[in-house]
Amino acid sequence: MPKLSIDGVEYQVAEGRTVLQAIDDLGLLMNGVDIPHYCWHPKLSIDGSCRLCQVEIEGMPKLQIACNTPVTDGMKVHTQTPRVEKARRGVMELLLINHPLDCPICDQAGECKLQDYAFDYGVAGARTREPRRPAKKSVDLGPTIVFDQERCILCRRCVRFCREVPKTGELGVFNRGDESLLETFPGSELDNPYSMNVADICPVGALTTRDFRFKIRVWFTDDVDSVCNQCARGCNISVSRSNNKIYRYVPRRNDAVNDTWMCDHGRMSYKLNAQGRLTHARAEGNQTTVVEAARRAGHLLRIARNAGGKIVGVASPFAANEDLEALRDLLSGLGAGAARFSVPRGESDEILIEAEKAPNANGCRALGMAESSDSLGRAEVALVLGHTLHASAFTDVEHVVLIDSHESALSARADVVLPARTFLEKGGTFTNADKLVQRFNPVVEPPFEALSEREALAEIAKTALLERA
Amino acid sequence: MASEPYVKNYLSEHYGDDAYQTLEGYEARGGFAGLKKALALSPEEVTEQVKASGLRGRGGAGFATGLKWSFMPKQSDRMKLLVVNGDESEPGSFKDRMIMERGPFQILEGILIGAWATGAKRSYVYVRGEYKQPIRVLEAAVEALRAKKYLGKACFGKKGFEHDIVVHSGAGAYICGEETGLLESLEGKKGQPRKKPPFPAQYGAFGLPSTVNNVETFAHVPFILERGVEWFKSRGTEKSPGTTLFGVSGHVERPGLFELPMGTPLREVLGLAGGVRGGRRLKGVMPGGLSMPILPPSELDVPMAEEFLAPKGSHIGTGGVMVMDETTCMVRVACVTAYFFRDESCGQCTQCREGTGWIHKLCEKIEQGRGTEADLALLDDVPSFMEGQTICAFADAAAWPIQGLLRHFRSDFEAHIRERKCPFPESFEL
Repeated sequence: MPKLSIDGVEYQVAEGRTVLQAIDDLGLLMNGVDIPHYCWHPKLSIDGSCRLCQVEIEGMPKLQIACNTPVTDGMKVHTQTPRVEKARRGVMELLLINHPLDCPICDQAGECKLQDYAFDYGVAGARTREPRRPAKKSVDLGPTIVFDQERCILCRRCVRFCREVPKTGELGVFNRGDESLLETFPGSELDNPYSMNVADICPVGALTTRDFRFKIRVWFTDDVDSVCNQCARGCNISVSRSNNKIYRYVPRRNDAVNDTWMCDHGRMSYKLNAQGRLTHARAEGNQTTVVEAARRAGHLLRIARNAGGKIVGVASPFAANEDLEALRDLLSGLGAGAARFSVPRGESDEILIEAEKAPNANGCRALGMAESSDSLGRAEVALVLGHTLHASAFTDVEHVVLIDSHESALSARADVVLPARTFLEKGGTFTNADKLVQRFNPVVEPPFEALSEREALAEIAKTALLERA
Repeated sequence: MASEPYVKNYLSEHYGDDAYQTLEGYEARGGFAGLKKALALSPEEVTEQVKASGLRGRGGAGFATGLKWSFMPKQSDRMKLLVVNGDESEPGSFKDRMIMERGPFQILEGILIGAWATGAKRSYVYVRGEYKQPIRVLEAAVEALRAKKYLGKACFGKKGFEHDIVVHSGAGAYICGEETGLLESLEGKKGQPRKKPPFPAQYGAFGLPSTVNNVETFAHVPFILERGVEWFKSRGTEKSPGTTLFGVSGHVERPGLFELPMGTPLREVLGLAGGVRGGRRLKGVMPGGLSMPILPPSELDVPMAEEFLAPKGSHIGTGGVMVMDETTCMVRVACVTAYFFRDESCGQCTQCREGTGWIHKLCEKIEQGRGTEADLALLDDVPSFMEGQTICAFADAAAWPIQGLLRHFRSDFEAHIRERKCPFPESFEL
């Protein structure tokens, strides 16, 4: 293991890493060791072109770019010397001579690396009086991304992303010198299942998503750590919220799960949270309170148990592990067998997207639940979470008690319905495709009365288990 | 341009002779004697001889050729390549064209010696796209070697010496003369220099170990093998042995090529070119192509070799000597220089992409009489944060000539700012 000294502090680092990679591995990059950078990205190939990450290395006469200089044993790196500072000021000044400086109308403002680094490493005044390079504003690169050519600093992260991650390669830098422009190749548009990641990795306001742009200033939002629930991968996300409203998902780095990416479908799924919600409790077709509906449900279960009728449990792979445990416990208290579950399936790829279109099928399996989408057969009461099992499977079931967040064919048919919180409205854990248990946090409050499944089940249990208590 | 150099030496001895372009003619005039001597030696011994000769690359950077060859991996399960740089894109340089047209077999012989020394199985001769005639001549020469089975599985009958040569046409970009820009272009990609590491000896053309040398460099190699290291070192200077083809252009009576020993005083080179045209006074000389800083008339006695030019703040570069007389407006020189580098920057690195454009705008402003003292101060400053900070030496090449012009001809710039117009009515048109 080579020893690397950074500003006088010695570290052990892995073999075969460059200076910037080694600092990133140590978790120190821009978090104790400040080496500003634009073109380097931990999950993309090294480009070495922005020249902002130059550092002084003892024994080397010229400044070296930290991103592409291999660490050798005993290397001594200095990141804050007058020479380094001059080089950074130079790069920052040059990046800004053709930049439109339209921060007041730029959607990136507040999370812009050009703003941040200009503030930290640049100079306040402009020395150029020359006209700035004219370029196109608001170019549609494809269905998801809008491009501002004037703001682009040509770091080419997006170009490398499209070539290396989805391997679709729609983007290129055309022309030469200060006429260089990012564009899509003639006759193609930026359209792939991961296209919106280019907006995340764009350090400036050049690439923005059509969905989020101009919706809200980012300083009015705060971010909550969560996990995407659209497939078994469980991409780590930050959810931006403001005034109890969700504005976007952005992927959060987790090298064991999703690197720094997420798919466009997952990213846009924040909208599903608000659509078609179950907003009120119902019992026998009549709107009622959550407590009353839970009492009715408990009543049905208690009667069935006392009469020796069959009780079946149906779990949901969208439910949290904590909710699944509550279901298991109630079913066992009622003397019923283990719940079953079914998983929606679809396309998968080699990148992130898994065939199982739910976040927690492995959580169900871990609790001994069996997967089946067959008909439930004859039963007195079915206690159901979610609606992944088709309503037709309930044909021979006498009474259906449903705890769900969204309306469905099943909710129309159920005898008792309790509105549930979505995963964005509660905390909990999902177990992903690789059996990693990942935590998500409450982001917003539902605008109506709703309980998490575990709370609803506890409420039902009060009546269902009454005689045994 | 004349079809042969005005002053000849060993390299260009037969350049007036059309037969020298044919395989028979080349062999009849002693061709391949160097290769035959090389094939009697081990590859290591050949590399050692080239190292001992002190031959320095003639493409502009002046790197030691033998040392470069020794970087090639000795044992490698991947095919090794030689890449021959005939892009000759430096303004003021036109020697490689002459060598390719008049001495194609010298280059090919040098390539084969290099191939024997490094174990390269294939070489690519990358020729500037505009050089149609050199491409034709080289292709015909390669074809002639092939027809005589001098190339292929056993070159020149030497068992185990396999080599083939491919002539490749560039598509017209200055930056494709930079060795890794050339490699990208050779692979069919946009000509953009590669970051280093990895260096070409590990990861060159098509990812294979490669050595890139200039065509003139290869042309000298047969003479070193044939006539010996001591013979070669007796020409030129101690640190820069051998001759080179100085290409003199600009305001001289007799522009053209002059094969002279390295270290020939600049004054003598100008004298051979007939001196400044029309008896005018000399104003400045760029000694090594457009990217090398200009020298004032007071430096005319400098020997034309890197070790003497560097202390004067310039470099030998490609030996393209550009002469400017007293009518020349040095701000216009700065303008055309800056425009060239702005236009040719590949655009990868921030300093180069943005800096070349800024410098050009500043020069143009001063030339048009719109410049201020503040602009001149910027012109001093901007090149200082371009040089030495980019992937390749292009940003240096763009910064140095401007710095040189400001160092020696600052009064020209100041006069433009003071008089609010260009005070050199007789200067060349922009």
